Amino acid sequence: MSQVAAGPGRTARPTRPRRGAGTWVTGVVLVAITVWAGIGVQVDIPAIWRNMGNASGTIVKLTQPDYSFFPQTLKPLGQTLLMAVIATALGSALSLPLAFLASRTTTGTRWVVGVVRLLNNLVRAVPDLLYAAVFVAVIGTGALSGIAALFLFNLGILVKLVSEAIDGLDTGAQEAALAAGGTKFAANRTAMLPAVAPSYAAQVLYTFELNIRASTVIGLVGAGGLGVLIDNVRTFYHYHYLALIILEILVLVLIVETASSALRKRLAR
Amino acid sequence: MPAGHRQERREASEVVFDGVGVTYPNGHRGLSGISLSIPAGQMVGIVGLSGAGKSTLIRTINGLVPATEGTLTVGGRDVTRARGSELRAVRAQVGMVFQGFNLAGRTTVLNNVLMGRLYSTPWWRTLLAAWKADDVEAAMAALERVEIVQKAYTRASELSGGQQQRVGIARALAQRPSVILADEPVASLDPPTSHVVMEHLRRINGELGVTVVTNLHFLDLAKEYSDRLLGLRAGSLVFDGRGEEADEAVFESIYGRSLKADDVLDAVPDLGER
Repeated sequence: MSQVAAGPGRTARPTRPRRGAGTWVTGVVLVAITVWAGIGVQVDIPAIWRNMGNASGTIVKLTQPDYSFFPQTLKPLGQTLLMAVIATALGSALSLPLAFLASRTTTGTRWVVGVVRLLNNLVRAVPDLLYAAVFVAVIGTGALSGIAALFLFNLGILVKLVSEAIDGLDTGAQEAALAAGGTKFAANRTAMLPAVAPSYAAQVLYTFELNIRASTVIGLVGAGGLGVLIDNVRTFYHYHYLALIILEILVLVLIVETASSALRKRLAR
Repeated sequence: MPAGHRQERREASEVVFDGVGVTYPNGHRGLSGISLSIPAGQMVGIVGLSGAGKSTLIRTINGLVPATEGTLTVGGRDVTRARGSELRAVRAQVGMVFQGFNLAGRTTVLNNVLMGRLYSTPWWRTLLAAWKADDVEAAMAALERVEIVQKAYTRASELSGGQQQRVGIARALAQRPSVILADEPVASLDPPTSHVVMEHLRRINGELGVTVVTNLHFLDLAKEYSDRLLGLRAGSLVFDGRGEEADEAVFESIYGRSLKADDVLDAVPDLGER
């Protein structure tokens, strides 16, 4: 490396600072933690090969969907979709005011922000499958339990993501509304809501995508939708049917994702 | 408080500082011992280095920065001790124009100007954006005055800087204020646009009798557009007089150094100096 010396009409270029050993140390530590964790839970890699023989039949069946089963999947498929739509609608409606209450930029009273955030963290700490199991026990099997579980799941995600989006907003217009004699509520409505609307809509679409997937899983504990059907065919080892259901979920998720990402792109403008 | 139809009725408000000081929560002293009176209808320019307390001074008038010492009244109403709806009542008669325009970019120009009507709008109308026809007309009239009413339904972010600042002025005007505060209103604009914006403020002062208090970094602009010049240095008032009186000696007392090209707007910036 030749150093460019200072000469007539040119200042000496600064030397590149040396990179510390920190990056390497971090890398080694991360690998060590991973290996240690693997030993901790007794990962047995050869077991995969030993059990391969049993699994091969299943895998073959999973690559051959039985399309004749299609009509019977239609009703649960529709139910899954409806559950996701209703849960997303309810969750997004309630999450918007709560998100404003959970952000320091829009709520001046600190304890309110603290309480809303704490409650929301509690809601988010419980996995959706557990909610579904609890609601199935309380309300009974069926779509209603599924909707209730998804609703809480959505609330947890949306309040967190939207309130964080509000935290990051520019507060200039809000300040102007306050300076004009508006209340904090009025300032939030007129200045902050238009600013957060695109990210709010994007998060709602994203939770809808998550709901499509989640609603298939929560059915496993009886909370309605495709999951109930999955549980049935799996119990009786109908892997050809299961393959078809997985294919349907894949197509559904692809459609919803494509539509929502196209919508979100428009919203970002 | 319905302020009549299109008639420009407003209370004449004197702004009185009596020993006003500001100490920020972090201990920084923003202002100290400011005592002065701004009679209704005056056009006041405030000059000083950045950090001298210009912005703090202007923001104590509408309580955006609370004064920690002394008493400040606007039209006889005590701002220093006002809270909640009392403070909002004062703010309703004091419009404010900001350096960074402070518009809600994602909504229309009209919606931005309507923010000036928030004080007298009930919460449910605000929530539903169900503005009274009177308020919409007040906003339109304000836009008309700054010659930008044809952009009422354009998104605020689509306007140029100068246009955005005119919307900012219209928002303040829509309040039908007795005082307009302008905090470095032209700092983000180019020289010709700066003059357009200052000219609008001058016209509002002259035609409507609104008191206008403006922070300006550029001395020439401040001299040109004010009846009265206030000079701040390190939080204290070091000059209070007419623009013509602000000679080189006064300038040094405000800025602590002699005049440079950077201190005037209509001069070629001298890059070599930096």
